[in-house]
Amino acid sequence: MNFNIAIAGNPNCGKTTIFNALTGAKQRVGNWPGVTVEKKSGHYNHADIKFDVIDLPGTYSLAAFSAEETVVRQYLENDEADVVVNIIDASNLERNLFLTTQLIELGKPLVLVLNMMDMAHEKGLQIDVDTLATLLGAPVVPVVGRTGEGIDLLKEKILRVSTEISMKARSIDISYPRDIEIEIEKLHQLIQENDVNDKHSRWTSIKLLESDKQSRDEVRLHNNGTDILGQAKVSIDKIEGLFKDTGRAVISLARYGFIQGALRECVVESLVDSVDYSRQIDRVLTNRWLGLPIFGLFMWLMFKLTYDIGSIPMDWIDTGLVALMNFISDLLPDSMFASLLVDGVIGGVGAIAVFLPNIFILFSIIAVLEDSGYMARVAFIMDRVMHNIGLHGKAFIPMIMGFGCNVPAIMGTRILESRRDRILTVLINPFMSCSARLPVYVLVAGAFFPENAATVIFSMYILGIIAAIGSGKLFSRTILKGMSKPFVLELPPYQRPTLRSLILHTWERGYLFIQKMGTVILVGSVIIWVLGYFPTEVELDRDYGVERTTLTQHYDSGLMDLESKFKKSVEKDRSGYHSEMIAYESSSSYLELHEQLELLKDELSSEKSKQLYNLRQQEIGDITEQKWIGRVGKIFEPIVRPLGFTWRESVALITGFVAKEIVVSTYGVLFGVGEDVDEGSRGVISGLRSSGMTPLVALSFLVFTLLYTPCLATVAAIKRETGTWAYTLFSIAYSLGLAYSLAFAVTYFGRMFNWLS
Amino acid sequence: MFNFKRPRHKLHISDENDLRLSDLKPGEKGRIIEIGGSENFRHRLIEMGLTRDAEIWVDKYAPLRDPMELIVKGYHLSLRGMDAQKIAVERIA
Ligand SMILES: Nc1nc2c(ncn2[C@@H]2O[C@H](COP(=O)(O)OP(=O)(O)O)[C@@H](O)[C@H]2O)c(=O)[nH]1
Repeated sequence: MNFNIAIAGNPNCGKTTIFNALTGAKQRVGNWPGVTVEKKSGHYNHADIKFDVIDLPGTYSLAAFSAEETVVRQYLENDEADVVVNIIDASNLERNLFLTTQLIELGKPLVLVLNMMDMAHEKGLQIDVDTLATLLGAPVVPVVGRTGEGIDLLKEKILRVSTEISMKARSIDISYPRDIEIEIEKLHQLIQENDVNDKHSRWTSIKLLESDKQSRDEVRLHNNGTDILGQAKVSIDKIEGLFKDTGRAVISLARYGFIQGALRECVVESLVDSVDYSRQIDRVLTNRWLGLPIFGLFMWLMFKLTYDIGSIPMDWIDTGLVALMNFISDLLPDSMFASLLVDGVIGGVGAIAVFLPNIFILFSIIAVLEDSGYMARVAFIMDRVMHNIGLHGKAFIPMIMGFGCNVPAIMGTRILESRRDRILTVLINPFMSCSARLPVYVLVAGAFFPENAATVIFSMYILGIIAAIGSGKLFSRTILKGMSKPFVLELPPYQRPTLRSLILHTWERGYLFIQKMGTVILVGSVIIWVLGYFPTEVELDRDYGVERTTLTQHYDSGLMDLESKFKKSVEKDRSGYHSEMIAYESSSSYLELHEQLELLKDELSSEKSKQLYNLRQQEIGDITEQKWIGRVGKIFEPIVRPLGFTWRESVALITGFVAKEIVVSTYGVLFGVGEDVDEGSRGVISGLRSSGMTPLVALSFLVFTLLYTPCLATVAAIKRETGTWAYTLFSIAYSLGLAYSLAFAVTYFGRMFNWLS
Repeated sequence: MFNFKRPRHKLHISDENDLRLSDLKPGEKGRIIEIGGSENFRHRLIEMGLTRDAEIWVDKYAPLRDPMELIVKGYHLSLRGMDAQKIAVERIA
């Protein structure tokens, strides 16, 4: 036997905390079908009965305004839940009970949970739980979710309500003013006569008076729908005439009237003046003058901690990966499989794995900010700024996070309540220049703008911000127009975050990252590897072996020449040397000659290795050109030629699609300096310079790198968070389009005015 | 089918001099007379407890002057100035 339990309540009432207390860590996070509203489910056993628990999204009402409210309403109306557990913030009773009145009307077996009893006591509230239970017609359980106090009693109550018929029947009606009751009764009777939706007929009647679209659509489908809707119109007109307001407002007001009446009977507010600690804290944290600097400091700390602490395990992972690669290379014979494993799988996945520490640290900091209640203050402080791009203040957090990595940033858009805001933030987030792009900037800017590298890199960041703001404005005026909701933000009291919820939050998101991004990156890296590995045999126009031998012989004979010339000079010199005191070999003239010899030899051998190196570069370039990846690059070359790019840039950009930092290692391969180039690598810099790239084209390449789709993992995150391929493909197309246009503009106007050529 | 078009219940206060929530200074208290704006906006506020006759305390303004922080029914709520402008209030002591 098992029962379905649904947990409902306002945002911030402690739903998640109670859900966790009930189910422990046994939970699954998914999405509600069709919408990106998080669906959390879990289960627990009590008295040998299994209870499946669903944590519904937090809502203030069941009006079906937002995606969240629609989800909750549909779930509850569909009769999937056997018992509804309504979590109520006891320190904020009046507003929390508004949802409760609607849940009562829905007529489901209900258990009311007065959470945050500790805070209610602190506020000096004395709640008469039994009277409240009688007035609301449902069992009331006082708990403190944080400490787990009262959870056992709650389980017991849930069990009883689920199993005992008598407990279910105890529901009461919320009473409305007489004039409204008359109209409700008329509709109620009409609906019952027509046997429409008999279970919640009173609920439906009230919803009709509220002109609720969903209920009207439902009723319309039934036999006598027209009659019922006709009566509804008459009733609404009557109510509106009497109360001079919309039916919906009148009903809401009446609900609050009922709540106030109930609270008068069962809540005593002690006269001791309680301290509003949150207000005291906010005197500083959202202070007119201090608020912004403190927020700035927190953001800076967030970055600092993420990167500084993250870099320590990052090094370990890096070392571990290199060791693993070496180990496997030693173990396996040089084969295709070995290459796939080492270069493809470990190399590719490893490139992302090194970011794991950063991501986990970032997620845990975000969890602290969220759990403590500071996130709402961030929205409060930054709303003015974000409002400019048609966004909610909270959207500032994912934007800033984007500087670190777009993947957690995009996943972080979940903190936004409206779907439209989430999508907008997701779409502009990739323009925030993530840390993976930095190595590319450092490499290219270092090669072409050695004097002004810092300025160039900084301008990339600024350009990214401008692109984000501009696109945000554009989107909010076009494709995502008018869906914005008014900014009505609750600032919940500050709370000390609990370790348990921190770990749960961090793990939940981190695990998603590992799971989803891992698979995408794995597939992407293998594809790139395949493109770079095949065909295994390539035909080159030049015979590099022969050229190499010729070159070596040339320099070797040059060296021998030098030696013999030296010997001749020495002979000549010695014949003119007469001193008996000092041996000729110690004479200054001999030493001078010898020194000259060494100098010339050094010059020659460095010239030799340089030539050999160039030859090797050309060879590897030639080979890559013949591989599939080079052919693909060639195919795209005509498209990128207007930007001044060659097939090399096109290959680099294609591989950069897997992850931006790969651009650097791709150049490493293309110029044959091996895999392990870092951004300071001389080989790539000289390679880039000698490949005919001008500073102008380099700039254009940087612009393109900044703006085009950051990486496969980001694409996967976009797909996940927007829930549709449409927005995902749009994002790819838009960013490619923007990257192309701006890079083209740079090259075109640069050439026109002869800049940086 | 029935057309549920209803008379618009605009803000009854057409007089520009009427006091709005956005006119209150930090520390001042007001009582709601009427909420204007779109249906959705009105109802959202009403559902959050900003009903007619509810008392509102303006706690402060954000560092950048917008939005504002209010205390209503014992909890803290933030609204933008442009939205607060749609709420007619009377000042109470
Ligand atoms: N003081 C106190 N804090 C609580 C209690 N229950 C939950 N909280 C805190 O309230 C905040 C919001 O809780 P959460 O479960 O995330 O709320 P949700 O948004 O409804 O899921 C968290 O910081 C919790 O630690 C409680 O009984 N007492």
